Amino acid sequence: MNIFPPMQNERLFVHFLDEVDGALCLPANATASDIHSQARAHRLRFPLLLDEAKPLRDQIAASTHAPASCRFGPYCDNILGMNWRLPSGRIARIGERVVKTTTGYDWLRFLLHSGSRYGEPVDYVLRLRPDCGFTAIARFDGGTKALHSCVSKLLHSGWMHWWDAVDSVTEGGASFVRVMIHCVPEEAPILAQQLEHIAASSSTQLMLQNNVPPPLDGLPDLVIKTTPDRVIGLSAELAHAARRCVALCYSGVVHVYMNESEDLTERTQALVQPYTAEIHTLGGDWHSRWLPATPPTITESAWLNTLEEAIHEH
Amino acid sequence: MTSPVKSSLEHQLKALLPRGRLLTSAAQLAGYGADGLGYKNHLPDAVVIPADAEELVGFMRGAKALGVPVVMRGAGTSLSGGPVAVQGGVVVHTSALKKIREINTDGFWCEVECGVGLNDLDAALKPHGVFYPPDPSSGPVCTLGGNVASNAGGAHCFRYGVTSNYVLGVEAVMLDGSVHRFGGPAGGRGPWREDWKRFMIGSEGTLAAFTRFWLRLLPLPEKVWTFRATYPDLKTTEAAIHALVAHSSYPAAIEMLDPRGVAMVESSQMACGLPGGSFMLLVEIDGPEALVNARVQSVAELLRHAGSNDVMFSDEDEIRNKLWKARKASGGLLGQLSPSYVVQDAVIPKRALAEVLQLVYDEADAANIRAVNIFHAGDGNLHPNFLFDSRVPGELEKVELISKRLMQRVIDVGGTLSGEHGIGNDKSAYMPLVFGPDSMRLQLSVPAAFNPAHQMNPLKVFDNRRFVA
Repeated sequence: MNIFPPMQNERLFVHFLDEVDGALCLPANATASDIHSQARAHRLRFPLLLDEAKPLRDQIAASTHAPASCRFGPYCDNILGMNWRLPSGRIARIGERVVKTTTGYDWLRFLLHSGSRYGEPVDYVLRLRPDCGFTAIARFDGGTKALHSCVSKLLHSGWMHWWDAVDSVTEGGASFVRVMIHCVPEEAPILAQQLEHIAASSSTQLMLQNNVPPPLDGLPDLVIKTTPDRVIGLSAELAHAARRCVALCYSGVVHVYMNESEDLTERTQALVQPYTAEIHTLGGDWHSRWLPATPPTITESAWLNTLEEAIHEH
Repeated sequence: MTSPVKSSLEHQLKALLPRGRLLTSAAQLAGYGADGLGYKNHLPDAVVIPADAEELVGFMRGAKALGVPVVMRGAGTSLSGGPVAVQGGVVVHTSALKKIREINTDGFWCEVECGVGLNDLDAALKPHGVFYPPDPSSGPVCTLGGNVASNAGGAHCFRYGVTSNYVLGVEAVMLDGSVHRFGGPAGGRGPWREDWKRFMIGSEGTLAAFTRFWLRLLPLPEKVWTFRATYPDLKTTEAAIHALVAHSSYPAAIEMLDPRGVAMVESSQMACGLPGGSFMLLVEIDGPEALVNARVQSVAELLRHAGSNDVMFSDEDEIRNKLWKARKASGGLLGQLSPSYVVQDAVIPKRALAEVLQLVYDEADAANIRAVNIFHAGDGNLHPNFLFDSRVPGELEKVELISKRLMQRVIDVGGTLSGEHGIGNDKSAYMPLVFGPDSMRLQLSVPAAFNPAHQMNPLKVFDNRRFVA
């Protein structure tokens, strides 16, 4: 039997910054500069950003991953909790403010990228990481085979853990590999030496820019989740019909940026359609902020009915 | 089995499974009455051991009609009373589903059956230069099915994260026998609109049976340094932990053993020369040799600066392995020290570490109950172990009272009940502390969607999940 009486109210998060735990609770419509202004004072950072100006909730609605997911995992591993407004208008606490939990069923990960189907986020609790003070961007140029070799060398060694991002960027028919490093300034030469070694051994040309801000590509129009071994090839194929494709190489995610036009919705739909079966076979998925969510299957409709009763109950 | 009801159940089970997969005698069932928690014993009416996924699916197709609870069980090493037939019924032991079906190093994933042992997977991955990071202390015995069901963690979660960070896909069998794949090698939703695997991971056997998983892998770190540092009191130990978690070396593990834990290790066969009378931190950094070697002195200096005059560090496997063996065997040693023990699993903000640990000591000492703290300090994941004798009238009640006060304080400081062990039936009584009316309704809707009669693992996670046939 329960030894504590049922609670009458939700234990909602209040805005806070805990510099010891590296946890920051702030409104879901906060922007990158809002996060920086609080985190930097404590030598902390939130590396999973896609856009400088767009609210965090829009960034999370646009994709499950950011370039720095290579090192820190997807958004769902870096958002600890939420205050979530239910369709009734009431706000429920979802998740925790500590880094580990297996207390109950994982509504946080279920709701985080659910769009507005079950309500909306009000506040996020972010997991911050140490700001080590030095960021550099490496760009590798070369032929297709050389760039593939470069990515393989970047990912298939113990160094992989220390690259914030390893992205294959295709734009205007040309591709390059982009690596972001973040470290204390004293370690920068060690990482740079390894990047030079990889460039030499993969026959690529390396250009290293020190002390530059992390690359923010903006919100993708289409996001496809596949496997890491498939992602560069898929990205190159999609790039023929897009303005820009960024393959997040370890995460197996392609961020597709379309040319703006009135028929964006139709073109996005047409672009993803031939790949849908292959993606689903691999257990991947696709998502576009311009297209409606896939309709639920018959099987999941039954499960959803039960969940929605609880979600919509006043 | 003697009663007519049990005889009928045995008859039905024999029809569902090939000969030799069913255990019903008292001697056979005795090993399934408890998990690692030990002191709470609930014998099932029967145990079935499917030889493969096909047999498991065949069993699940007929399980609903049995009209008794169905409890999935891996190695039974959990510490929350999870895979135990509290309401009787059938325990499904999945140990035979132990194929590693694929290791794909180009895609950084592997496909494994639910009964694969955690350390067996590690051994299979190592020659490929990759690893699967979650590392609960029960690694030599526990299965991946149990790990996924309880969202297991381990010592190296501080940097690497827990099981839910690494599960790309789950194949689940529902009580109607339908088999569903949620995700897969790519780790997305698959053809579903929603990401259903999120509910499956950490669901403690209350939603479905699992047959296989797709798991994310990482390249093996090349070089590892392990540090040991001692501190005179809780406050200085806490300050050292605070400094470590913010350090640019991103330690993989930050573990703490209190003086009682150190003494326990040193009086056992696991003794490795740990200095007595102090709080000890066990810290590990790893990475490429050139990078990690450059960090060694700064970590040692941090540990000294925080107040330790006894810092030892090594990259020699023999020394490192001894330290880790002592740390990881400590749970088993507790079982040798005391007829019964309870281990809590709360996670708290790290600024409250010293305060909450002091509460543990004060409450336990006042009740004349021995308490030993060995835990994942970097995550703020406490494991206070309360040693007692459940045969002595009143001892269990004392431990339950201490646990109740501790959990109230954990929630008051902003923590949660469980970080990696799960709720089981050991912590379900505390759930009203965590969830308000709306979030509780959402929580209860999940088993209502997948297992509305609560036939799968009843009376776990939430106390009111009782199966009514």
